[in-house]
Amino acid sequence: MRTRAVLGSVFGSIAVLIIGWQAGAAALTSNQSALSTGLSTSGTTTGSSTTGSSASGTPSPAATPSSGSTTASPKSSTTSKSYTGQSVNTQFGSVQVRISVTGGKLTDVTPLHLTDFGGRSVQISNYAVPILRKEVLSAQSSHVNSVGGATYTSEAYLSSLQSALDTAGITS
Amino acid sequence: MATSTPVQNWNLAPSAPVDRRERFRRRRRAADLLVSISWISASAAVALYLAYGGAGQFGTVGAAVTSIGIVAGLIGTDLILIMLVLAARIPVLDRVFGQDRLMATHRALGKPAVYLILGHALLLTVGYGITAGLNPIAQTVSLLQLPDMPLAYIGTGLLLAVVVTSLVAVRRKFSYEIWHVVHLLSYAAVLTALPHQLSVGGMLANGTFQRVYWIALYVVALGAIATFRVVEPIVKSLQHGVRVAGVELVAPGVASIHLSGRKLTSLGSDGGQFFVWRFWTLKTWWHSHPISLSAVPTDSAARITVRALGDGSTRLGRLPRGTRVSIEGPYGLFTDAARTSPKLAIVAAGIGVTPVRALLEHSRIAPGEATILLRASSEDETYLWDEMHALANQRGARLYTSIGRRPRNAQTWLAASDAARSVHLRSIFPDLAISDLYVCGPQAWTDLVVAEARANGLPAHQIHTERFDW
Repeated sequence: MRTRAVLGSVFGSIAVLIIGWQAGAAALTSNQSALSTGLSTSGTTTGSSTTGSSASGTPSPAATPSSGSTTASPKSSTTSKSYTGQSVNTQFGSVQVRISVTGGKLTDVTPLHLTDFGGRSVQISNYAVPILRKEVLSAQSSHVNSVGGATYTSEAYLSSLQSALDTAGITS
Repeated sequence: MATSTPVQNWNLAPSAPVDRRERFRRRRRAADLLVSISWISASAAVALYLAYGGAGQFGTVGAAVTSIGIVAGLIGTDLILIMLVLAARIPVLDRVFGQDRLMATHRALGKPAVYLILGHALLLTVGYGITAGLNPIAQTVSLLQLPDMPLAYIGTGLLLAVVVTSLVAVRRKFSYEIWHVVHLLSYAAVLTALPHQLSVGGMLANGTFQRVYWIALYVVALGAIATFRVVEPIVKSLQHGVRVAGVELVAPGVASIHLSGRKLTSLGSDGGQFFVWRFWTLKTWWHSHPISLSAVPTDSAARITVRALGDGSTRLGRLPRGTRVSIEGPYGLFTDAARTSPKLAIVAAGIGVTPVRALLEHSRIAPGEATILLRASSEDETYLWDEMHALANQRGARLYTSIGRRPRNAQTWLAASDAARSVHLRSIFPDLAISDLYVCGPQAWTDLVVAEARANGLPAHQIHTERFDW
């Protein structure tokens, strides 16, 4: 290989690696949820919901509507409110979910953070979470079966969900 | 040295004022750029992982092994995509590097790529296993339950089959056709490996720029193959309607195939280039042949000259008139366009005379500019030498011949009688240092000529070779 090609390769590679490194560092220090999965896109949009730890039980009037579907409804009973569950730690990373409640019913579960320790945990999360969400929404409670092959994720997900349900005052 | 044609000063027009140094510099700049891009693409694969936050994934043994495994898979896949691009016969790459260099690089990348992919599979199995507390077998079972993973295992198996059948020692045991069919599996291997890259692991997850970049790489590599190895050859073959016009026996086992077609000059082939030919008869359609033109084509006629070497080329001597011919090409840098120096030195052995014949015919050379040495083991192998004599006469080129077997137990590329008289490269080509040396013949013989040229201090860019043992 010629000198110029060697130098071009070396410096080009260094530049590309530094860019990658910097992008990675930025991603690590910024919102962790942006890193964890592609499912968490809606998790960072609400800023006015109550959290499980504050446990005030009084939802903010500016609570974000659930996926915009209920914004047209003026009735307070159908206004969507969101509650954030506690963060539950597992050996594969922490899990935290936010729920949307409309008219006393659980209408959506959004993961804020999922097990993300290594690529496979993320994969497991991506695979298990849609199943859990579906089951939870139909059962209207956290009393559903764990997803096979995703025990840690399932249990952490369901307990974070339960804390959010407690905050929202929904009992099954 | 049997004969030497007298130099005649014909009143030829002076050669066109081509700035060979400038043309060469431009070509070298392009080569350096493309080589750099290839290496940078490998670094970019690593950078993708860093951008995902990979630098923070080395905290524990399990995570570190997993991370190294992911990076190995990324680099390995990048290499495989580069290999596809190298084998796609992209015209611009051919003009810059030449097919033989492209394919040499393609072969050289095969083993590293497969090691990286196997390493990727093993490291991830172990890494996940450590993290989850599973042994590698249990971990493999668990991995196989993930969507897209069975496909990925199949892809790895296909890749292994492709590379193993291509190892020199193994390849000799198979016919070209079996090797080729197995090699086509590499496309299946590349495609079956893609889904798990996109679904397992969050790095290439939906909506990430990494995913966009990665898919773009696949589109470029597979698009190049589809364009230049499938669509363009079909279009060209239909456009030019090449057919066999007649077969002429040149010597025992050697035949010139005359071809007819439409607008053949618009193919833009340079003297010394080759096409990949496929002759559509029942017995020959499944075999394609890379063969140099042995004369500069006219608009309606072209000629190739073949020696019976493999099963396929034996049958080429019996092609019926009117046989349809499909073409891919032109390829190769064994042309006037590759020249860098004021003088021209040509050495050809046996059937290797064919591209040299077209090169000489196509080149605009001044009288005294070119010197040619033709080699043959016996008088029977002096294919097209009458034409070479006529061309050399017409162009004012010096032509020497060396007939006879090489001496046993001696490293020479000349006939025994000439070697005994201590004839050597510099005595044949006194202007070697300011010449472009074109060598065409069997590989081992070519290597000897090139070695002597290098020993004489001739830089690599002044040496041009065409492998010719098919």
